[in-house]
Amino acid sequence: MIRAEGLCKNFGNVEAVIDASFSADDGKVTALLGPNGAGKSTSLRILSTVIKPSAGSAYVDGFDVSSDPMAVCSRIGVLPHATGLYDRLSARENIRYYGELHGMERDPLEARIESLIELLDMSEFSDRRVAGFSQGQRIKVALARAIVHNPQNVLLDEPTNGLDVMATRALREIILRFKTEGRCVLFSSHVMQEVTNLCDDVIIIGRGRVQFQGTLERLKTDTGQEDLEEAFIRVIGADT
Amino acid sequence: MRGFMTVLRKECTDNIRDRRTIISSFSLALLGPALFVGLMAFVLNTALGTSTDAVVLTVVGSENAPQLVSYLEQQNTEISREELENPKQAVIDGSHDLILVIPETYARRFSNGEINSLPLIYDSSSLGKARRNYNQVRGMIRRFAQGIGFLRLQLRGVDPSITAPVLVQEVDTASPAARALTILATLPYLLVLVIFMGGFYLAIDTTAGEREHGSLEPLLSQPTSRTQLVLGKITATSIFGAMSLVLFLASLAVAVPFVPLHKIGMSLEISLGASVGIFLVALPLIFFAASLLTVVASFAKSYKEAQTYLTIVILVPTMPLIIAQLLGVEASTTLMLVPSLSQSTLISALIIGEPVEWLHLVVSAITTGALGAGLAWLAISLYRRESILI
Repeated sequence: MIRAEGLCKNFGNVEAVIDASFSADDGKVTALLGPNGAGKSTSLRILSTVIKPSAGSAYVDGFDVSSDPMAVCSRIGVLPHATGLYDRLSARENIRYYGELHGMERDPLEARIESLIELLDMSEFSDRRVAGFSQGQRIKVALARAIVHNPQNVLLDEPTNGLDVMATRALREIILRFKTEGRCVLFSSHVMQEVTNLCDDVIIIGRGRVQFQGTLERLKTDTGQEDLEEAFIRVIGADT
Repeated sequence: MRGFMTVLRKECTDNIRDRRTIISSFSLALLGPALFVGLMAFVLNTALGTSTDAVVLTVVGSENAPQLVSYLEQQNTEISREELENPKQAVIDGSHDLILVIPETYARRFSNGEINSLPLIYDSSSLGKARRNYNQVRGMIRRFAQGIGFLRLQLRGVDPSITAPVLVQEVDTASPAARALTILATLPYLLVLVIFMGGFYLAIDTTAGEREHGSLEPLLSQPTSRTQLVLGKITATSIFGAMSLVLFLASLAVAVPFVPLHKIGMSLEISLGASVGIFLVALPLIFFAASLLTVVASFAKSYKEAQTYLTIVILVPTMPLIIAQLLGVEASTTLMLVPSLSQSTLISALIIGEPVEWLHLVVSAITTGALGAGLAWLAISLYRRESILI
């Protein structure tokens, strides 16, 4: 469960996020949509506690990201824009590192890594060093690393970037699995099509502001457009 | 504490697998002593040459001046009589170092009381003994000529001292031992450099490297305190600095017996005890170096940028050493307040087996350790700010 209330963030004179309020519920997949530079990544970075909001507040499972970042950290799993894996460590070692940082005990951690390797179909390359991995393999490792501590909330920053059809499909299945497990999934994207058969709610951000939040059905009725891409463009304003 | 250990273990495993880190960290430590010993041996051998070795001289046309040649032979010389077509070319070719040419006209001019001018051919740009041999032979011929000149004056009833109202007497106090000690004094300098080089790449990889590869942001969203995170990184860098120093000391212990110090009646033995002592004295400096390198590398956004900064930083600890050497500073408690300078002073004393004051040891360890801790704190506060990501 993620909730943002009046979030603002400026870097110097640049206002990246302006008065953004939105929420993402448990057991649902919520998409954060918007053109490049709309403020999606900044919002996700605030939620993952690595940057502080200039004003407003955000809560993860009721914990404030500003005042209680440690509690928030252990309740979220973050797949960042760049996978940020360590090339000289094997897939397994990469995952283990984050598990240990989350304070997991050895036996449960090893069992969890084993089950993630199976879940994400990584057994072929789990003990190879990451250096030569394809983008699809990297995303899988980064995803396993992000959820090694079994977080209630999962934040994915443009996860399908650079993935081929098979890898995208695999990722979609994993996201749907998170949903049936009752987790709260929030992912950002700038491609409208990829969210249609996956998400329950959409949040559309344009020019730093939240322009729309609701179900896909409501997006269609609100804008009077049957085509989702048209509706998306209508919401963010054609001039952007 | 668990977060600290996790980070420390990961950084060590990660970097031990990186060939670039290994080469950069340990090559100076391994090869430095060999270089040092080579330099020592070279200087000692050339210096020792001055005192005992015979002067090697080739004489062309020796039959023209048997008196002069037998005079030279009575001195400390090794004369080879040869007939050379072109003696100048022989020196240029390098087949001969020093050639004295006595022309056929010598005997006639000598008995007529005319001036004889003898070419003494040598190459002043060549290193080693050629120059010194030249000077010695010149001196011998001058003395020979002077002797003849004095005799001729006396035969004419003139006091020879009238030709030399003032004489110079040369007194050179530079002993081979003194020259050897000058080089020995560079050892602590090398040692400080070895410590900094050991942590050089690790400091970059754990900070600017993480930023460049995009792994810093997910790392900072883990529930590990920034204090444990940064201390883990600094400790990993310290461990590499320490490993580099241990390798250096081991390599030095192997290399030092090859220095021909016994020739000048000196003995240099870096015992196991002294090595342990040096390591302990250097320990606070290792931590200081790791913290300093980490702080500076944290300001850089990329590997290359960090490399540029750290190359400059490595010069900083060597500055006090150079200044101290120029001013000839003596060990004092004030001196012990300066990191790198205090350690190198103490280590110099340990190497040549001089006693070290406990007060100095304690002051050096405490001040360097405290400065290192201050820098570590600075690094931690840098990582608490979100600008580390931007």
